[in-house]
Amino acid sequence: MNIMINIKSKFLLCATVLLFSFSSLASVAVIVNSGNSAAIDEGDISRIFLGKIKKFSTGDKITIVNLKYKQATRNEFEKKALNKSASQVKAYWSKLMFSGKGKPPKELASDKDILAFVAANPGAIGYVAEGSVDASVKVVKTF
Amino acid sequence: MVLNKLKTMNKHCGVNMKNIHKALILSSAIMAGNSHAEITFNGFASIVGGVTTSSDETLYGYDDTINFSPGSLVALQASSDLGEGLSVTAQILARGEDDWDPDFEWAYIAYDASDNLRILAGRQRVPFYMYSDFLDVSYAYPWIEPPAGVYSLGFSTFDGIGAMYNSSIGSFDSSIHIIYGGNTSDLFIQGEPQTSRLRDLVGAAWTLNRDWLTLRVAYFQADTSIDVPDVTPLVDGWSQAGFPEVGEGLKIEGDLGAFTEVGFQIDYENILIIGEYTLLTLDNTLLADDANSYFLMGGYRFDNVLVHVTYGWDDSIKDRITNDVPVIPQLLPLIIPTNGITDGQAEESNYITLGLRWDFHDSAALKFEYTSYSDDLNSNNDAGLFRTALVTVF
Repeated sequence: MNIMINIKSKFLLCATVLLFSFSSLASVAVIVNSGNSAAIDEGDISRIFLGKIKKFSTGDKITIVNLKYKQATRNEFEKKALNKSASQVKAYWSKLMFSGKGKPPKELASDKDILAFVAANPGAIGYVAEGSVDASVKVVKTF
Repeated sequence: MVLNKLKTMNKHCGVNMKNIHKALILSSAIMAGNSHAEITFNGFASIVGGVTTSSDETLYGYDDTINFSPGSLVALQASSDLGEGLSVTAQILARGEDDWDPDFEWAYIAYDASDNLRILAGRQRVPFYMYSDFLDVSYAYPWIEPPAGVYSLGFSTFDGIGAMYNSSIGSFDSSIHIIYGGNTSDLFIQGEPQTSRLRDLVGAAWTLNRDWLTLRVAYFQADTSIDVPDVTPLVDGWSQAGFPEVGEGLKIEGDLGAFTEVGFQIDYENILIIGEYTLLTLDNTLLADDANSYFLMGGYRFDNVLVHVTYGWDDSIKDRITNDVPVIPQLLPLIIPTNGITDGQAEESNYITLGLRWDFHDSAALKFEYTSYSDDLNSNNDAGLFRTALVTVF
């Protein structure tokens, strides 16, 4: 009995640590140009970032901008918004790229570059760590 | 049987000067057309080693000596955006089994007529199967290569026009891919290259996708001709004996080949289930009248490791074509080999593949697979095969 309790409490401790480390990861904000008035829901976001929707509800052409591979914010975004691991996303774009169906989005090196790109391009959509967001862009969803 | 090898016909066309010439024209068009055009290079590679588990077994080109040639390949793709919706792409692929001779698998100009419609002109893939479009990009799917029983057609590319139309139907994303064109390629029959010609190759694939569910149907047909010199003496013999129609039934000359496919994929959380069924009919030729194949795969993801199991089954039927011929001694020298050829087209086999994919690196995965193959008509062909692969995209 004692042993059982011991195991249980160890398990709880582990679970708590896991939960804590999970929630301590930064939230990701999906951002668009401040002049963009399109309605974008959560389902649209994954379809936009997988290249399945090419125009906003306003009819404007979408330009996706991605963080460079291997950045923590990108992994976080792909896990939460696209429900895919980094290698699944890579496999997805490989399918399109090598079959004449599409090409992966433009990639920029930092949150700063993404903010500048989205602020300068009316049809742009990207994501940054929530803490990086400034007044130059509009947040449509936080994951 | 010699002619059984037609089923595992060489997957692609050989290198020829025409291809190289075409690609040179393409690349100079890229250069001349827009001096500012950027050329993007991407690529993929698979290095596969395989060995059968006992000395008298062969399977999928492997025997009991470890061999790195049959499944290994390296590909490089160059593409350039010309603006106004136009782009040019060429993909060069070198296979270990061809002594790494490079070959153009894709060479096309793409035009985005609208956000929903893309047109490709040039050399491209026939979208026969669920994984046709990226058949050689092992990084993009669980196995080392898609199940060989279903993915058994002798060619995969064509020259012509393709149109892809994407739209939404309710909450499903719909994609319709229509093609028209032809293909001339060398098929290796008993080690000798023979010419196969497909004319009026036409058909379509329709894919529906919603979150974790993908459904697909496809139909293609072509006017099919394959030179098979080995049967010429028989064809002539039947003609001289006064039964030319029997000889005609052996030749593959302008016969209608029809291909039907149905597939699905469920990719829900950590669970992956994939199934595909194909039917190939090629009446009035020495090949099987009906070739049925299917596979069903189940997989589970543990973080960056995917374990999977696949069961596949193949069944080909061929009726004898000598039933209307009187069985008299003078005709036996024709009847016996003709029946031998057509009987040899019957097939009944199945296989189980256990596999593991480990995404150990950002751009590369390591795969291990064991396949146990049983031939229900001839247990001498039963075999076990172990394969391992390092696959990458770049």
